[in-house]
Amino acid sequence: MDLLLHLLPHLVNGLALGLLFALVALGFMLIIGVMEVLNLAHGSLFALGAYVAVALMTPDGGLPFEFMRAYCALPIVPRYVAALVLAPLIVAAVGMILELCLRRTYGRDPLYGLLLTFGAALVIEELIRLVWGPGERQLPVPRGISGGFLLGDLIYSTYRFYASAFAIGMIGVLWLFLEKTPYGALIKAGAHDSEMVRALGVNLPRLRLLVFAFGTALAAVAGVTMAPIWGIRPHVGVDAVVPAFVVIVLGGVGSFWGAVIAGLLVGMVVGLTGAYATDWSLVSMYLLLIGVVTFRARGLLGKKSVLEV
Amino acid sequence: MRALGGWVTPQMLVAFAVFGSLPFWIREVGLHPYLGIEILVWCVCALGFNLLLGYTGLPSFGHGAYFGIGAYAFGLVQLNLFPNLWVCLLAATTAGAAFGGLVGVFIAHRRGIYFALMTIAFGQLFFFIASKWTSVTRGEDGLLDIKRLPADFGLARFSLTRNDALYWFCLASFVVVTLLLWRVIHSPFGKVLRAVKQNEERTAFLGYNVKLYKWTSFTLSCAITAYAGGLLAMLQGGAFVQTMSLQWSGIVVLMAIVGGGFVSFWGPVVGVVVYFVARDLLGAFTETWQLWFGLLFMASVMFKPEGIAGLFQDLVRWLRAQRGAFLRARAVGAG
Repeated sequence: MDLLLHLLPHLVNGLALGLLFALVALGFMLIIGVMEVLNLAHGSLFALGAYVAVALMTPDGGLPFEFMRAYCALPIVPRYVAALVLAPLIVAAVGMILELCLRRTYGRDPLYGLLLTFGAALVIEELIRLVWGPGERQLPVPRGISGGFLLGDLIYSTYRFYASAFAIGMIGVLWLFLEKTPYGALIKAGAHDSEMVRALGVNLPRLRLLVFAFGTALAAVAGVTMAPIWGIRPHVGVDAVVPAFVVIVLGGVGSFWGAVIAGLLVGMVVGLTGAYATDWSLVSMYLLLIGVVTFRARGLLGKKSVLEV
Repeated sequence: MRALGGWVTPQMLVAFAVFGSLPFWIREVGLHPYLGIEILVWCVCALGFNLLLGYTGLPSFGHGAYFGIGAYAFGLVQLNLFPNLWVCLLAATTAGAAFGGLVGVFIAHRRGIYFALMTIAFGQLFFFIASKWTSVTRGEDGLLDIKRLPADFGLARFSLTRNDALYWFCLASFVVVTLLLWRVIHSPFGKVLRAVKQNEERTAFLGYNVKLYKWTSFTLSCAITAYAGGLLAMLQGGAFVQTMSLQWSGIVVLMAIVGGGFVSFWGPVVGVVVYFVARDLLGAFTETWQLWFGLLFMASVMFKPEGIAGLFQDLVRWLRAQRGAFLRARAVGAG
């Protein structure tokens, strides 16, 4: 009983992580659905989201000094909200550029698409390193949602509760969008059979562009939300794309709730290893990937996926 | 029966001549002999890597790990066991083959995205182990005090401490690896690898044990890269964790593709030379040159996946066509 209580904060942490992993994975999955290739740059865009948010909250330079002073004098909450809203939009723009680059590789050996997104991931990471330096950054968070609180006998992190609630909200909104709106139906149809959708008169290139933008925006949102938990380093991109992939493989490509449940599982694993061996918590993801691909590459639901080229 | 592809090609002789004469003119062009050694070491690494990507079609995004494993193995054997050049290099190669073989068991039956992500996962795993197992690898500081052991051939003994001497040794390694890889690629084994790259299923239908071929290709590739790692350890005087990072693994991929590894044996060599010359020439002016190299890679994949070697091959083809047209026109005119 004592052990369980001791583990509880870590389980809660794992839950928060898991929900955010699910968010990244869902964006990832949307993109796989309408495109032919896996976006290895998804993680770098996740990182870019966090960095852009930092830049939006505490502008370092470039803008006129008066404007910056007035901006920084604003209370933190509007700045945080601005960052949360604008960062995904900016990253979505970058995502659209990437999609335009990917167009040249459609129809060819999927290896080219893979190489291109890998190159993009490296380029984005290099860009981040150049603009913001290789050091670690901090995202300032409004005091209302930071710090800890006491529940029972244990201290919980307020921010992780907020992050979990926010992620649940985003997942809910995403579900509503996909299930209840005509645009969502379009995206699902495109994922199911893009040729047919095009034959029915939908502008497929535009659909792909918008889905890519949407998926990368989700990654950026997750990046901004995850920033206070994971820290902001240029390398955080790789650490974000691997769990997304694990989640999709575990949950099955194309399954919305599969991704959510798998995300929670992965998050728990990472959170719990964090409890016992903090250094190993990130590596546990890589080990999990190796394990999952080796033993259950068809996911818990067992259907041959589009990833098996 | 004459060996397919021959033992030595004109391109090989050109490459050997260029690299063989390098110490004599490198300073004239404003570069340093150290650069020559770096280029040769990375050429061996990239050639080993391209066996996997260019010839078998398997994208390994974690190859830096084996480069580092080779360096660490070299250093550890030298410092703890037996400071003999040949033993240490053998240890490096064997370590690479061992780890490559182990990882290969997990990934040999995969391809495409699964393969790529698994190589990333294993690469990161080894990177993590190397940085955390400080009792063995000294962690972030790196394994220092690796000395350049003398090359003892029994009859003669050459000290490799000076950069010039090490250059000749690395050149000799480069020649041996080039000849070896050329033979491997033009052997029946190499032909099957190329078949696997073109269409894995069909190759399997033809009765080949595709898994075994892929595993062998991967293990051999890792072994060669690890040998280069041993050379790197001597060059740098240490083994460092950063070599095993995803960034460096990515740079190997970039070098191989930009140079034209998809279509040419010499692609990786061209890519390595371009990278390092760019680093020394452009790096003096701007810090962003690595970004440009990455963008060059993306442009290459988008517009010319055949790379620089591909451009060269196009040029040769165009010249031949021109010559053919000219000769035909002359024949028609005379007749």
